[in-house]
Amino acid sequence: MKRLMTCWLLVVLLLTVPIPALGHELLDRIESFTLDNGLRVLMLPEDFAPVVHFHLMFDVGGIDEEPGLGGIAHMVEHMAFKGTETIGTRDFETEEALLQELEIAADQYFAALEEDDEGAIAEAEQRFMSLREELQELATPDVLHQLFDQFGGVGMNAYTGYDRTAYFVSLPSGRQELWLRVYADILDNAVFRYFYEEVDVVKEERRQRNEDEPTGYLREHFLREAFEVHPYGRPLIGSMEEISNYRYGPAREFWDQHYQPNRAVLIMIGDIDPEADRALVEKYFGVLESEPRHERPIPAEPPQQEQRRVTVEYEAEPEIMVGFHKPTYPHRDAYVLDVIRSLLGTGRTSRLHARMVIEEEKALAISVSSSFPGLRDPNLLVFHGRSRHPHKPEDLKQLLFEEIAKLQQEPVDPWELEKVVNQAQASFIRNLASPSGLAGQLATYELFLDGYENILDYPDIIASITPEEIQEAANAYLTKENSVVGILYTQGDHGGAEQ
Amino acid sequence: MKQTFLPLLLLALMLAWASSPALTHAEDWPDPFAMEFEPVEVTPVEPVSVTLDNGMTLFLLEDRSLPLIEGTAYIRAGANHEPEERIGLAQLTALLSRDGGAGDRSPEEVDRQLEYLAASVEMSASEPFATAGFSSLEHNVDEVLEVLADILRRPAFDARRMEIARGRLLESIRRRNDQPLQLAVREFIARVSEGHPSGRYSSIETMSAIEAADIREFHERFYRPNNIVMALSGDFNAEEMADRIEEYFGCWEARPWDAPELPPFDEFPEPVVYHVQRDLAQSIIFVGHPAVTFDDPDYIRLDVLNRILGGAGDNRLFEEVRTRRGYAYAVGSQVTQGFEYPGIFFAYSVSRVDKTAEVLELMRREIKQIVQEPVSEAELDRNRRAIVNRAAFRYASAKAVADRSALVNFLGVDPDYYARHMEIIEGLTIDELLDTAKKHLRPEDAVILVVGNEELFDRDLTEFGPVEAVELD
Repeated sequence: MKRLMTCWLLVVLLLTVPIPALGHELLDRIESFTLDNGLRVLMLPEDFAPVVHFHLMFDVGGIDEEPGLGGIAHMVEHMAFKGTETIGTRDFETEEALLQELEIAADQYFAALEEDDEGAIAEAEQRFMSLREELQELATPDVLHQLFDQFGGVGMNAYTGYDRTAYFVSLPSGRQELWLRVYADILDNAVFRYFYEEVDVVKEERRQRNEDEPTGYLREHFLREAFEVHPYGRPLIGSMEEISNYRYGPAREFWDQHYQPNRAVLIMIGDIDPEADRALVEKYFGVLESEPRHERPIPAEPPQQEQRRVTVEYEAEPEIMVGFHKPTYPHRDAYVLDVIRSLLGTGRTSRLHARMVIEEEKALAISVSSSFPGLRDPNLLVFHGRSRHPHKPEDLKQLLFEEIAKLQQEPVDPWELEKVVNQAQASFIRNLASPSGLAGQLATYELFLDGYENILDYPDIIASITPEEIQEAANAYLTKENSVVGILYTQGDHGGAEQ
Repeated sequence: MKQTFLPLLLLALMLAWASSPALTHAEDWPDPFAMEFEPVEVTPVEPVSVTLDNGMTLFLLEDRSLPLIEGTAYIRAGANHEPEERIGLAQLTALLSRDGGAGDRSPEEVDRQLEYLAASVEMSASEPFATAGFSSLEHNVDEVLEVLADILRRPAFDARRMEIARGRLLESIRRRNDQPLQLAVREFIARVSEGHPSGRYSSIETMSAIEAADIREFHERFYRPNNIVMALSGDFNAEEMADRIEEYFGCWEARPWDAPELPPFDEFPEPVVYHVQRDLAQSIIFVGHPAVTFDDPDYIRLDVLNRILGGAGDNRLFEEVRTRRGYAYAVGSQVTQGFEYPGIFFAYSVSRVDKTAEVLELMRREIKQIVQEPVSEAELDRNRRAIVNRAAFRYASAKAVADRSALVNFLGVDPDYYARHMEIIEGLTIDELLDTAKKHLRPEDAVILVVGNEELFDRDLTEFGPVEAVELD
């Protein structure tokens, strides 16, 4: 305990960074309000440049999908770029009628495929394809990109995670009304144009990310092994079979059920006028209605009783992932395990880098991440390593467990703990420098961690963690029984080395 | 089962359509394409430029918003200057400067000091130059600058750390065909830039041949203050910061710069179709050739053509290959800025293997079209507006401004380049674009590289020209 006191003094002396002042100043500048429909809005005026960053995040992601509809959250994220009833169409009335006909043709086409009747397939396909062509004639392709690009939009994109979905772009200032008008319209009246064309795009995305990419390939198998029940075990993008069977109806239903104003937070950071912009937010988003929240119970992963292993062969050099089940925030152990992640894997002086990459020269590179693959539900602390020839992935696994044993048996060195605390505080400051990074963090805290104000607590919680807590968490979670091992071996060369 | 299931689906679908609201709010909202906004007023911020007596040039930009200081040093120590039989020397020198100990500090001491301060110093080398980047909290920037100065001036090149760094680079070489896109980019650049240092890649042999003496010699020759332009931004007073840099780097002696001559760049590489046989779920296609250097006014016009063809958010390749046909997730084109030698124009696609020839044909068709027919006024207008409107972002980050100013100076770019660029953009016509396309784009004489499983291709690649199989090492 006395040693702990000394190290505290050091930290206080060394870090004269005014984190509390910076943090409170940040919170003071944020204007927050909630519309009647439940949309939460955070506005942070910044005068660094005449630009505004927009970030719209929903608490909807892959784990909200019904079984068999894997990847549909990601699919509808793509569809939200296809325009609305008033944006991206030459004639919506004709288009709407044709879209209904297309679904009937699609029913016939999918039915013929299922019956495996060549004649019927050819006939149905012809009708299906010719309707798609007719519809393409009525639509403006890539309309949102075209629109925002010409008004100076930068970094327009979106992502879908297991927990959340976000749409973001930065615009020159003064164009707030453009963004608000367009995105309120998307929430209200998105039209899923090019649906079946986009199904093919998503198949290619899956091939690119999960099939032709060794780490993506290993990750998919690893997660499937790690989560037997919880949807964190499903591929976020969906299986090829699921993607091939996507239909307009279920996709639309998923969109309508989940992407509601009361499940979202809108962040605007930059050269804004909070009063005038609030009026614009109310004008466009205020008229939207929210459906009651669609609740779908997500099955909890039962405690793991023994180590799980999965191996895959691939035309690539070997790599390994080792995961440990753990709780998520706000459970205090989740924060303790964040400290353990840094002790083990952040930087050149981290225990695993120092041992595997430098001392023993057995690894090309290592990393450790926590809250993998999401943070809404209990998740994994994951080690990822690439071995150096002729060393094997198993050599890295052995060193990992040796280092874990040290964490379990010996209290962590005060210097190391101070280093981790210093880094957590510095990261907090660095995050403030990036509007998109800060927006993502504020939105995540607002949606999942009981309010954006809590963003300030993180460095303090990390600083409050004791060596005893670290030892306890290492003993509780970083055990063989609680671990999942995934190894990618070079094709034809796994040599039965797994012990 | 199927018979009863289908009508149910139809019913569900009809209900889904019926439930959508008949009237939408958006009918009363303005047409976003017709919205008009005031032009954004951009207030340029210029870094303070200081040249030390030893020739080291600084670009300093104050930004007091956060207690952070960041910097990037550009060093004329790139891979273009390494000997043929020691390819990898520039990279190994940069990595080992950072990791091999500095001044009186052991490698461990450097790492411990920086990481305890939650600071970073990272180095790397590309073909034209090496860089050293740092980030520090304001209150301990002196300690970090002292370490950085030792890393650049007095690297210890610890022998064991050298073997670790080399071993890791060798492992990266072993792994460099694992990711098909990385493999395709490398093989394409090597073919388009054949015979020029910028098209070379290290191998197990060249990396293994490097000795400690080579590294010392390379460092001695190229790491000199008069070979360095450094950007600094953040929470400081520019004058005081210049004094601090003088304190840490001032006694580093200049040495005359004997810029090695680069061999000539062959602007007309053989238009061969290179094929790398890999059993993949997709094929990766590159089509392209050398273009122009950055200071050719046609570079700016080519950049606009490239936006229309495959560079902007919406573009022809994206529309034809991805949006309309669903053949690819990643597709587009680029034209790189060439400094001492021409940049490269290329179109790329990561797409359906069973449509390989069709996609390649589409890519060539789109390039041909932009050479043969003028772009539409609407396309030119959209892209011109995009470029003009984006000016608002030029000063959005102090670090980006300082880095850009330093790089512009380092590469010998005329400081008025951007202003001239914007003048050309403002006055650009579709005829000028057509002339530029005809002059510089060569769809029939492009280098083509395809990575993929030819057993699954829709047609033979020979229809695109003589095919040469690439054997990977």
